[in-house]
Amino acid sequence: MPSDVVPAMRELSYAEAIREALGQAMERDDRVFLFGEDVGIYGGAFGVSGDLVHRFGSERVIDTPISELGLAGAAVGAALTGMRPVLEIQFSDFMTLAMEQIVNQAAKIHYMFGGKASVPMVVRLPGGSGTGAAAQHSQSLEAWFAHVPGLKVVQPSTPHDAKGLLLAAIDDPNPVLVFEHKLLYKSRGPVPADDYRVPIGIAAVRREGRDITIVAASVMVVRAQAAAERLAVEGIDAEVIDLRSLRPIDFATIRASVRKTHRLLVVYEGVRTMGIGAEIAADIAGSDAFDFLDAPIARLGAAESPVPYNPVLEKASVPQEDDIVRAARRLVREGEA
Amino acid sequence: MAVEVVLPKVDMDMETGVIAAWRVAEGDVVRQGDVLFEMETDKALMDVEAPGSGRIRGLAPVDGEPIAVGTPVAWIDVADEGDAVAESVSASSGVPEVAPAARSVAAIAPASPIAADADERTQAVGIRATPLARATARESGIALEAVAGSGPRGRIGAADVAQHHARAASQPSPADDDRLVPFDPVRRTIAQRLAQSVREAPHFFMTAHVDMGALVAALDAHRAAAATTTRASVTAALVYLVSRTLVDHPMLNASVDGDAARLHRHAHIGIAMDRDGDLVVPVIRRAASRTFDDTVRELGRLREAIASHALAPSELRGATFTISNLGMYGVDAFTAIINPPESAILAVGRIVDTPVGRDGRVVLRPMATLTLSADHRIIDGTAAARFMADLRRAIEDARSLA
Amino acid sequence: METTTRAQGQARERAELAALDDATLREALLRMHLIRKFEEAAEASYMRGLVHGTMHLSIGQEASAVGAVLPLEPHDYILSTHRGHGHCIAKGADPSRMLAEFFGKETGYCHGRGGSMHIADVEGGNLGANGIVAGGLPIAVGVGMSIRMQKLARVCVVFFGDGASNEGAFHESLNLASIWRLPIVFLCENNKYGMSMDIAKAMAVPNVADRASAYAMPGATIDGNDLPAVVDASKRAVARARRGDGPSLVECKTYRLRGHSKSDRNLYRTKEEIETWRAADPIARLARELEASGRFDASTLAAIEEAATRRIDEALAFARTSPEPDPAQVTRDVYAQ
Repeated sequence: MPSDVVPAMRELSYAEAIREALGQAMERDDRVFLFGEDVGIYGGAFGVSGDLVHRFGSERVIDTPISELGLAGAAVGAALTGMRPVLEIQFSDFMTLAMEQIVNQAAKIHYMFGGKASVPMVVRLPGGSGTGAAAQHSQSLEAWFAHVPGLKVVQPSTPHDAKGLLLAAIDDPNPVLVFEHKLLYKSRGPVPADDYRVPIGIAAVRREGRDITIVAASVMVVRAQAAAERLAVEGIDAEVIDLRSLRPIDFATIRASVRKTHRLLVVYEGVRTMGIGAEIAADIAGSDAFDFLDAPIARLGAAESPVPYNPVLEKASVPQEDDIVRAARRLVREGEA
Repeated sequence: MAVEVVLPKVDMDMETGVIAAWRVAEGDVVRQGDVLFEMETDKALMDVEAPGSGRIRGLAPVDGEPIAVGTPVAWIDVADEGDAVAESVSASSGVPEVAPAARSVAAIAPASPIAADADERTQAVGIRATPLARATARESGIALEAVAGSGPRGRIGAADVAQHHARAASQPSPADDDRLVPFDPVRRTIAQRLAQSVREAPHFFMTAHVDMGALVAALDAHRAAAATTTRASVTAALVYLVSRTLVDHPMLNASVDGDAARLHRHAHIGIAMDRDGDLVVPVIRRAASRTFDDTVRELGRLREAIASHALAPSELRGATFTISNLGMYGVDAFTAIINPPESAILAVGRIVDTPVGRDGRVVLRPMATLTLSADHRIIDGTAAARFMADLRRAIEDARSLA
Repeated sequence: METTTRAQGQARERAELAALDDATLREALLRMHLIRKFEEAAEASYMRGLVHGTMHLSIGQEASAVGAVLPLEPHDYILSTHRGHGHCIAKGADPSRMLAEFFGKETGYCHGRGGSMHIADVEGGNLGANGIVAGGLPIAVGVGMSIRMQKLARVCVVFFGDGASNEGAFHESLNLASIWRLPIVFLCENNKYGMSMDIAKAMAVPNVADRASAYAMPGATIDGNDLPAVVDASKRAVARARRGDGPSLVECKTYRLRGHSKSDRNLYRTKEEIETWRAADPIARLARELEASGRFDASTLAAIEEAATRRIDEALAFARTSPEPDPAQVTRDVYAQ
């Protein structure tokens, strides 16, 4: 190839990027292993683990019975005694079965034992709605866990971040929950082939703008970016921030953006009440960025109902691109949240 | 050795207990495990057992008083030295330690609210404005009440403040060679009072072309015979005549006082004068009671006092009617602004020989234009007209001024 | 199994006792006394208001704690329960640092952050007491996985009570341990009661160990107040695990002479029952058997007890005079760095 031609970075899907992260981590570190329901021979319910069992064997890519509580505890025990387990919980909704070990044990052991022991485990969680899986297989419960000191919570929105955040999570000496979005598994994007990290706790400004700050996570980032392009046509220049991390949240980046744009709209898939947006709104209202607000703070979140089965209802129950455009326009033009 | 019998803590939040009843008596021999007393707790009566074996003494009284947990309520003198009672609490402990106080987490001191400027607070009450608008207004020294809000429910946004700021700035900007003369207190007062007068008093105007011949002749005669050194002026004559005319037209010598007209007993005539470019209006008090000579003298005194800046403030107050004579400047006619709280003012132009019709012929007569400004709240057209008619008569029929 | 007959006048020594040499027995008896005196000191301190919260005393259960742990090596792991002071001492923890922890002091094992229910001696292989009934069982699964993956010749003994055997975590953990042949000894201390619930009313089978066959592992029900019997059963289970043959369930029938916690009014059992079990006090029983079989004389036995008393007095003094933690450090060690 001529030397002046730079090869375009290759593109991977979000699922492939995760698989690549797992493979690279397991190759370089014997302590890392993957376990969960159907991650081995089946290749993962969402096709994420793929052929990993053939590369690393069934002792390192372990198929398990349906025992979320037992498996979560096993991750704790293995992490306590020198391993770096990655547990896949097939649907994030099933974290409800594992709550005891995640909240009472994993999150608290380091603290309760005065810093003498740590729990370097990762739990990967396919979550979110849009596949017609209905109420018990479509939730976005990340706010529950972002509420627990001792846990870290991340939500990648791109293949690049899916790989980088997972590698960072595996490196982290604390329990890290990675909420992947089912609708993103097939999305494609540039992913470097090397072993890189996306730091936990740092948000990314996906689009710079002057008129309004839109903060989003996971699939909402994609919708917010599309909305921003439409808003630009009508003369509203939106800044889109991808949270990436829900615990800890990068408040510094959000505050700096609000100081610039004076308007804030937070968009997330969790139920609106008591959600991530409430925390971000409260932080801005209580920080020095408050003096720079020129409109009330707006939040878009999921409806106050279980996720419906019917596809029209399902779509209507979470923020869509149109909703983001309308909300941003309303905030900028009318000054109403 | 003596073993303490303490009031035991049995619940997480228990701080005190009450002895309900002793089951043993002073001096009894007890064995480890025997029930010594019953204790009252939230839940039920509870048996407290002997921690050792021996003779019990020093029983605390049963009086219903709450006792702190850990307090000894009796002692057991253990019989043998080799007693295998495994009371691990060292007998050397005297006063029981107080339970460690609930650990107080250092209260995170609330960040002290940025103290709003007292001015800003009083100004901003009841005004809807965004934080950014408030901050910007504060920095630019703009009062929020002066800003029109275009947001919902009249909310002032940053754009509104910016617009206000720009409008103020877009007044014709002073050219480089302009000279800015800030108001002194006098000018400020004049500006404020006269603006108020125009805003509040509905002015109307009435003009009369008056034949000054008789008056001028009377003045000439007076000067010839005058005892005064001061030359009598047309203004002095007008003061003399207007004040006497006002006697019959009390509403022109009145002030609006709320929902009423205050009719003044005396006519104190103000004379509009100029001092160093400023309007000053000295007052001739009780003008209708003064003789003409007195009027002339007083007017002369006031003029001198003005020129020498010796006028007392009281001499500038209390006018009930003002006369402004600009005839000496060649002004034909003008309309004046009423000096509040007065209700009328007479503007006097120059005396000019003017052709008029008299008895069917055109003759030249010394005419002057007098213009009355009146406050229509209390003075109607006819009232003003009658006053002017009487004044004209007084002037045109003037024989002598005395 | 051989039985040895000693000089005339002394009772025949049974096999389980004969299998233990003097040094081991001395250590076992000392540890049992240490536990007893430790519990009594903790209790007395609590009644004086020196200990915050509550505590769960294991007075009467000393043989099962010491017997289960005796066959372990220093690098073997244990996981304990909310009634874990005995396990901790049995595994060789320092009573001074334990008592300091109960007093909430900075010098405690957990720097005052954990307290009685979360006491841990991680360097000594005690991966922690647990405030959640059955909380340690899934964690033990992870420890077992870790041992297998790292190819260590270690064993994990996880203690739990009769009540825990009705939690879902128990069933998930035994199943997982069995299918993966993990080196775990599931050690049940059946003291007949949950808090106030008689196990006969709570459990579908008469013995916890009856459940072992459901998970294809050996189960043994033994007299938990008979130290040599406990050691014998524990040795078998530990050897099986270390060989790589998988987990076992050992049920020690024992009794707690004190209430569940300090607020227990003992309304659910009779004084007669308590007295009957007091007569079967494991320490007294062992001492009698040792004396009767001529292994130790009365003065040796007394000296062992004395040593324990002295050690606990030291521990009390240490705990009393240790410093409180600094409130400004309340969030220290929430996250591992």
